[in-house]
Amino acid sequence: MRIDYAIEHPVALHAAFDVEGFTVLLGASGEGKSMLLRAIAGLIPAKGEPFGGMPAQDRAVGYLPQGYALFPHLNAWQNVAFALRGPQRREHAMQLLERVHMAEFAERYPLTLSGGQQQRVALARALARKPQLLLLDEPTSALDPVTRDDVIAELIAEVHDFGIPALAVSHDPQLAAVADRLVLMHGRRIIQIGTPQVLYANPISGAAARLLGYRNVHRGHIEGTPSAPRLMWPDGGTSFPIEGHAPIGANVDWMIDPAAIRITDMRDALPDAIPASIEVRHVNGRITQLGLRCGLARLWATVPDGMQVPESLAVHLSPKAIRCWARDV
Amino acid sequence: MNAATHRSRLPAAISVFTLLLLIAPFVGLALVTHWLDFHFAEGDGGAIAVSLGYSLLALILIIALGTPLAWWLARHPLRGKWLIDAVLLLALLTPPLAMGLLLASMYGPYGPAGHLLERAGLILTNSAPAFVMAQFYSALPYYVIAARAAFEGVPRELEQIALTLGHSPWRSFVHVSLPLARLGLAAAVALAWVRALGEFGVVLIVAYYPQGIPVKLWVNLQNIGLNAVYPLLWIFFLVAMPLPLILGLAARRRRLI
Repeated sequence: MRIDYAIEHPVALHAAFDVEGFTVLLGASGEGKSMLLRAIAGLIPAKGEPFGGMPAQDRAVGYLPQGYALFPHLNAWQNVAFALRGPQRREHAMQLLERVHMAEFAERYPLTLSGGQQQRVALARALARKPQLLLLDEPTSALDPVTRDDVIAELIAEVHDFGIPALAVSHDPQLAAVADRLVLMHGRRIIQIGTPQVLYANPISGAAARLLGYRNVHRGHIEGTPSAPRLMWPDGGTSFPIEGHAPIGANVDWMIDPAAIRITDMRDALPDAIPASIEVRHVNGRITQLGLRCGLARLWATVPDGMQVPESLAVHLSPKAIRCWARDV
Repeated sequence: MNAATHRSRLPAAISVFTLLLLIAPFVGLALVTHWLDFHFAEGDGGAIAVSLGYSLLALILIIALGTPLAWWLARHPLRGKWLIDAVLLLALLTPPLAMGLLLASMYGPYGPAGHLLERAGLILTNSAPAFVMAQFYSALPYYVIAARAAFEGVPRELEQIALTLGHSPWRSFVHVSLPLARLGLAAAVALAWVRALGEFGVVLIVAYYPQGIPVKLWVNLQNIGLNAVYPLLWIFFLVAMPLPLILGLAARRRRLI
């Protein structure tokens, strides 16, 4: 489904993209993502398609706001039946609750349900309206961190199961990674559209890489000579050689994969190694990442399996692994 | 006994004393009433009927006109809102006697509105409509302010969700806003009822007749004496209190947020 919306108030925003399957619009807070959803739902004035000019109650959208907004004075099935009419409404609501595996909680009130359970009731309620498009505002923000991956998996499976295109806006890279299609928004503009595979492999800019959750995205500028360019990293207070042909003097965003950073002992450091100190140790299963302080900045580096981390260490940034994007300012 | 215990007992002692002060007049009434010779003065029955009937009418008018205003004030941000607040507060804070005089000057036989209405057959002095008007003016600001607070407590998002679920703004109001505001609205109705029923100053000026309970109490006191007011006073409490109590309990018994 093609979305093309222009908002003037309270901030100007124009967005045009296709929603296919589970589409995530990824952007930082304050980009106006929630506003875009509210505009599509008809809750704030805007121009665009689909549903342009229709009052909110006539738009076939299922809108799940942040926090899900279940009616506190109604229990789960009554919430789902809210959009239904006629003598069969209870039965129909129960069927929808069964489809989201919430039938046993039908008599429970929203306050007694967990975040994930509330989300499923809200999904059933939105689906009861027979929408052509689902709108989800930050669907992962109210979830318990322990169960959230499962809840997201469940949500996406349900969205696929119902076969309705869904647009989720989020700043959560974890959600972006499981989308069918990704739309990146930065500076109130859409900067990149594609599948997660393509976008994660080729972020179009430093801002895109940051949105996608990449660590080690920093600012710098190119120095040296065209044949031997060096990347000056002001926050790290150092510079190091890079590969390729970069215009001298250009401002860049650059990035390095934590796994490509070589940790060495300070004493046997190479000439371009950067002295670093350990700030934090991030142990996640078999992988350990170190948060390293370099000057004013932090670099994340993956510790190779079985490596003894030296007491005074330096890091070596391989010129091959450094990726640069030109930056306007 | 240590100092900490002393400190915690002092507020408790003051609280008990204050509560005793509050309840003392009611205990006094129970003590001074001649229970063996409990009889009404002439015309007390009529006063009770007048009070109940017209207060109910005034309450219906207050709810019918005050609810849309309260809703509108709660939901529509306006630039000159402080002016509306000032008007509401002015009506609320005007002493009853002064409000009675204002109404008499506007709706009395020589007042600008009273003159016109009299031609249309509506007399707003010493008449049933005048009695209802007096109660309406004295209780309306209380209702509007309390009802507005009740509506402001309803999350706007829930009303909007109702719209996205295909409900019209009116249905969203009935099925979401009203149920979620019901505790506050019940308090507003109860407050308006007590205000209307108990109004004395305004009624005294514009509607001495027909006599409701408050004016009749005053007349009994003047003509017969203190002993003659107790039976009617008991009835006054009996009819003034049940509505607020029932509404309060009913609102609490249902499952709330």
